[in-house]
Amino acid sequence: MITTVLSEALGLRYPIFQGGMAWVSEAKLAAAVSNAGGLGIISAMNANADYLREQIRKCRELTDKPFGVNIMLMSPFVKDVARVCVEEKPAVVTTGAGLPNAYMKDWIDAGIKVIPVVPSTAMAKLVERAGAFAVIAEGGESGGHVGDLSTIALVPQVVDAVKIPVIAAGGIADGRGVAAAMMLGAAGVQCGTMFLCADECAVHDNYKQKVIAAKDIDTVVTGKRLNHAVRSLRTSFTRKYLEKEFDPSTSGDELEALGVGALRKAAVDGNMEEGCFLAGQVAAMVHAIQPAETMIRNMFQGAETLLKGASTWVK
Amino acid sequence: MSTFETIAKLIAETKDLDINNIKPEMSFADLGLDSLDVAELVMNMEDELGVTIEISPSLKTVQDVVALVDEQKK
Repeated sequence: MITTVLSEALGLRYPIFQGGMAWVSEAKLAAAVSNAGGLGIISAMNANADYLREQIRKCRELTDKPFGVNIMLMSPFVKDVARVCVEEKPAVVTTGAGLPNAYMKDWIDAGIKVIPVVPSTAMAKLVERAGAFAVIAEGGESGGHVGDLSTIALVPQVVDAVKIPVIAAGGIADGRGVAAAMMLGAAGVQCGTMFLCADECAVHDNYKQKVIAAKDIDTVVTGKRLNHAVRSLRTSFTRKYLEKEFDPSTSGDELEALGVGALRKAAVDGNMEEGCFLAGQVAAMVHAIQPAETMIRNMFQGAETLLKGASTWVK
Repeated sequence: MSTFETIAKLIAETKDLDINNIKPEMSFADLGLDSLDVAELVMNMEDELGVTIEISPSLKTVQDVVALVDEQKK
C-alpha cells in the first residue's frame, strides 16, 4: 500500500487525482474514481452555476467519499461557479488556466482544500503564500492546455520551491509513472488521459477508440500562436488548424473562432472530422476500456512492486 | 531609478519588450502578459524591490503596481 501526506490528509486510499477535463469529467466519472479510492474531480468548464451545482449533488448521490471540483479560471462564469463551491463545499477545488488568488480566501474559509495546477515555480510560490493546500505541477506531456516544461523537469523544481505537497501531472498512465513521480518528490499524481477510457467516462465511444488506437507520436500541440497551447490527438481538425496557424494571412480572431466548440464535437458527438480530441502523450499507453477502479488498482500495484524493488539499483 | 523605471525594466526583461513602449497606464493585458508572466514578474519584483505583492483584481496596470510598491516602501 502506498500512502503519502496527500492521501492521508484527504482520506484517500490511493494518492491519485482524476484531472478535471471539460466535457469529460462529469459526476459519474468523478464518483467512480472517488469510490475506487482516488480523488474524482468534476470539471466546471465553461458551464454556469446551475450545471455545477447539479453535478456536485449528483456526485454526492453516487459516492460518500471526498471529491473535488476543477475551476477553469478563464470561464465566463468563473465568479458564479466559484460561489457554488463556497456553498456546496466539495473537499477540494483545483484550478486551471490562471492564478486563482482572487477566489482562494473564500474557498479556504469554507473549509475547502485549494490545489491549483501550476506550470511554473513562480506560480507555485504565489499560490502557496495565498494558502494553497498543495499544487499540481503539470508538465507539457499532458493533454489539453499545456505549458512548456516537461513533467520530469518541472516537478522537482516545484518540490524545491514550495513546502506544500506537490502532485505530478502529465505523462503518467501506469505504475512506472507513479513510481517515477514519487522519486521526483511528488506526494501524488493526477491523471487525465487514462480516465478518458474508464467505463464510467461519458465521452463518445469514438473518443475512447481514438485514444486506444493512438501511437506514441500521435499527439500534437496547436494554438501556440494564440498563447493557448493545447495538446490533442492528430486529426483532420488539427491538420487544418495548424495550416491556418502557420499561415500569416489568418488573423488571430479567425484562428480563435476555428477552435470554438471543437472539444464538444469530439467528446459529445464523436465527430471525427471536426472534433478536437484532447489527450496527452500517454494516449498510446492506454489499451483498454476498463472500470476506473481496475485502472487505479493496477497502476498502484505496479508502482508498489517497482518501489519495493528499487533497492536493486543500489549496490 | 524611480519605482516606475525599475518595474518597467523588470517587465521589459520578463517579456523581452522595448522598455520605451511601457507606459504607466498600460494594463498587463496591454503588455501581452498572461498569468504565467504575471507570476514571474511578481516574484522578480519582490526579489528586486524587497516588497510583498499580493495579486488582487484591483492590480491591473503598471501604475497600480507602482502605487502598491511605493506604499510599502514608505
